[in-house]
Order: sequence, then C-alpha cells, then structure tokens
Amino acid sequence: MSDLHTLSGAYALDALSGDEAREFEGHMGDCASCSIEVLELREAAASMGASQALTPPPALKARVLAAAERQPQLPPLVTHLDDAGKKRRRRRIAIGAAAAVLAAVAGVTVTQTQGGPELSRPVAAVFHAPDVHSTQVRTSNGGTITVATSQQLDEMAVDTHQLPALSKAKVYQLWSIVAGHPSSAGLLTDVAAGRAMPLPPHGAAVAITIEPAGGSRQPTSQPIVVLSPSRV
Amino acid sequence: MASEPGLRLVHGQGSGGDIDALLTRVARGDSEAFGQLYDEVAAAVYGLARRVVRDPERAEDVAQEVFLEVWRKAPRFDRRLGKAKTWIMTITHRRAVDAVRRNEADKRHDQHAVPDEPDREDPGEAVILAEEHGEVRDCLDTLTELQMESVRLAYFNGYTYPEVATLLDRPLATIKTRMRDGLIRLRDCLQGA
Repeated sequence: MSDLHTLSGAYALDALSGDEAREFEGHMGDCASCSIEVLELREAAASMGASQALTPPPALKARVLAAAERQPQLPPLVTHLDDAGKKRRRRRIAIGAAAAVLAAVAGVTVTQTQGGPELSRPVAAVFHAPDVHSTQVRTSNGGTITVATSQQLDEMAVDTHQLPALSKAKVYQLWSIVAGHPSSAGLLTDVAAGRAMPLPPHGAAVAITIEPAGGSRQPTSQPIVVLSPSRV
Repeated sequence: MASEPGLRLVHGQGSGGDIDALLTRVARGDSEAFGQLYDEVAAAVYGLARRVVRDPERAEDVAQEVFLEVWRKAPRFDRRLGKAKTWIMTITHRRAVDAVRRNEADKRHDQHAVPDEPDREDPGEAVILAEEHGEVRDCLDTLTELQMESVRLAYFNGYTYPEVATLLDRPLATIKTRMRDGLIRLRDCLQGA
C-alpha cells in the first residue's frame, strides 16, 4: 500500500486540503480497498455526527421545503445516453462496485472480478465521479464511444465497448495530441474494459486510430475519432 | 430563530432503513417523502452543523444548504456506495467544515483544549440525546487519548490534519495514522455494538 493509503482517516474526517483530497480521490479510483475503507470510516464518522442531534428551529423545515420547491433535481448520472448501451454500462459498473464491496469485505484482494467483460475499475471510477460530464461520439468506422471527464479526479475515460471488433492483426490506439503533436496514450487491447487517463491539458485533443497489432509510435492511419476533452 | 430547545429525547434516529427508502422516493421527485426525510434527519444534520460551526444562525444556513443538496443530488445517490444517512451526514460535515474554514479567523479562537459537549459557549443549550449518543460515547472511550483528540479536533472543530499536528505538537505522519487507527477502532466498536 502506498503512503497515500494512510490518508483514508483524514479524508473521512474532511481533514485534507482541497488538493490533497483530490489527489486521494484519484488514488481511490485505482484502489478498491481504499474506497471501501473510506466508506466504512465515513460511516463511523457519521455516527459521531449523528450523536450530536439537536432539534432545529421549527421554522427551518418550511424554509427548506420552499427552497427545494424552487430547485430542480439533477438528472441521474449518464441519463442523456438514452440507448441500450446505457443500461448495460450502468449495470456493469454496478456489478463491478458490488463485487468490489463483497471482495473487500471478505478480505480478498481485488484484482479482477470474475467472468465477463466489464469496464475497468479506473474507467468506472470516472463514470461514477460526482462531477462527471459525459457524451457519446460516433466514430468513422461505424462505432460509438462514450467519453467521461471529471475535474475532481483529473481523469478522463472512454467506454469503448461499442467499437467494432478488429482482426487480430489490428488494434485501437489512443493518442493525446498537444499542439499538433500526437503521443501514444495506450492501446485498447480490451475494448470492453475501456481506458482511463489523466485529463489532457486544456486545448489538447485525444484521438483514436487503428494500428497494426502492438501499436505504432506515431499514428499510421486517419483517426476514427478526435475529441476535445475540455468540451465534453 | 432565537427559540432554544430544552433537553429532549430524539426518537427515530436509528431507523436507517426508512431513510434509505425515503431517499429513493425523494430521488423520484417526491416532495412529501422529502418532508418525511427532513423529519428523520433534521436533528442529526442541524446538531452536527451546530457542533462544528457553533453559531446557531450559521448552523441553520448550513442545514438548509445540506437539505437542498440532498434534494438536488438524490437522483445520483448510489445505494451500493453506502447508507443514505451516512451520505447525508457526510454532506453535512463537509458543508459545515467549509463554512468554518471560510470564516476561520473569527470563529476558531483558542480551542486547543476541546470542550466536550455541551459547548462552553452555550451553557443554556443542552445536546439532545440521540439513540447513537451513548453508543458512540462508549466507543470513543475505547480510543487512545491521542486518537480521540486527533479525531475530535478534525471532525468537530474542522481542523485539517496539519493543523491538528501543530495543535497537538506531533509529527504529521503520527496524526494521520492516529486519525485512521482511531476511526478504525470506532468503526469496529460500533459494528460490534
């Protein structure tokens, strides 16, 4: 466990500075056992909080209800993805999270949940971030990807399970393009798992190309999609 | 809002299942459920806000912000990631601490020796006994002195862990581990209770 892990207590007590809290949240995206520990420590902290119960002034209730009346509720996460992929994706995230909880409770090291293809944990973490923005984009080879960004986690993620399958000789490759210069952001060897990466700097673009198996140093084909994460 | 409540027992604080069910209805825009949810958790929310920010009017403002956030974000609440009440108390604590930190210069005067409840500033007001109260107090008693002080200064006074380290004159690494150990011990005790 990294040193960051020991910050779980301070994090659960809201005793980290904003920067440290964001750093720790990023760490939790990669560390299922840390997320579970924070959930449990939060629960303990919440009991301390609840033990301070004090009747509020009676007029508060009417004020709260009146204010809520004027406030629209946020849509559920990823609501604007009104296709079949939405349900599947949310279910897969759900299964992943539940499996992580069970595994951690049982004291098992979470490496991978058993069986079928699902979003990798870092990708699911971005889709689950409280401040997530996501959008669907069509690719020129007839597929669809969903892009999510979270400023809080400082991460972006692509869900690529709706990309057409490639022959064994080919692979999807991600590129980060800063000031016109592409650099590889990794291969999508498992399109069902998707891919998470740090948010590129403002103005940078992210592209996906189809490359020979093993990937290329520089793109050798036209991108099937080019994204500006800052506009997601 | 100057009316000061006397010492009363709050009922219904332990009904966590109801709170989860109510929040599910709130997520669908059910304002009647929202009113019931308010009745279930308002004392916990207001009490914690009051304990952290101390000033009654600011505590009310914090409580109102909390409930609006709960209303707005209910559709995004994920039950797999914890209990509804924990979620609400987490929002409450974060907002209360934010309020304190925004205003720390005039609000956080020398509280090195943290008074136990009720607060020294409000001798006339008694803390209402929630069902959790005795249990939490007993469990806090299982913590070491340093664990308890670290947890309390952070949670009830809104200090960051470097501030707690300074106040208690201990190394940063010690304080952050004591916070973690302390909460783990509290968790284990509450789960066993």
